[in-house]
Amino acid sequence: MKDDKDNKKEFRCMNCGWVSSEDMAGEEPEHCPNCLAGIHREDEQGYECGGILEPVGVWVKSDDEWVIIQRCSLCGEMHLAPVAEQDSIIKLLSIASKPLSAPPFPIDRLEELTKIMGGRGNIK
Amino acid sequence: MNRENKKRKYDKRYFKTHPCTDSFTCKVCGWPVVSAGAGSNHRNHCPNCLYSIHLDNEPGDRSSDCHGRMEPIGVWVRKNGEWAVIHRCTRCGKVASNRVAADDNPMKLMGLAMRPFGSRMIARADIKELTRSMEGA
Repeated sequence: MKDDKDNKKEFRCMNCGWVSSEDMAGEEPEHCPNCLAGIHREDEQGYECGGILEPVGVWVKSDDEWVIIQRCSLCGEMHLAPVAEQDSIIKLLSIASKPLSAPPFPIDRLEELTKIMGGRGNIK
Repeated sequence: MNRENKKRKYDKRYFKTHPCTDSFTCKVCGWPVVSAGAGSNHRNHCPNCLYSIHLDNEPGDRSSDCHGRMEPIGVWVRKNGEWAVIHRCTRCGKVASNRVAADDNPMKLMGLAMRPFGSRMIARADIKELTRSMEGA
């Protein structure tokens, strides 16, 4: 308990245990810059939750603005968190590439499948 | 059938326990959508443009007054390996996730998954810098 008081400016991630370095001190970030997870303090109705907001996806809002899509591991609510400057780009891309590595349909027959469902599109 | 129609009209929780077999025209792209072929009893989004309409607060309760268009903003992989589409309401900003249907446009889904990789946010110079700094040059 004493430690917490001494290092009040230091940010310690409850999920991965990452500790912010001294030069990065400032206000507490909403999500951990290392593992991109946050704590779900309150749900939409304003009730306490306390689950871990796990990053599940990336929303490309515009070319220069990305948003992390988080999902509460306890109640399943989705939450959006803007990407901060110090966030780990590698972790971000790892999350974004997860769907690509586990496609639900055969990628080599993508065009054929699209035609079967009557949709348009081609790969150039 | 009349009794069923009445139940459907007045029972607030009807669609929580009953499949919805209505056909509809997509309000965004005009695609004619039938309930068959989704691989699910509850079709949630248009198989062509993947847009949805904000009708529910909880699945099947039809109690939302928003009725905004829900834009597909991304996909994620569930624990069981299935893909789910993440929707965001363009009117109120609510975010929801829904399992992909069997007949969803695979090209659109792939496009959603690929979107972060064609963006300016990842600068090529930064990635080069990563390997360079590791080599200690």
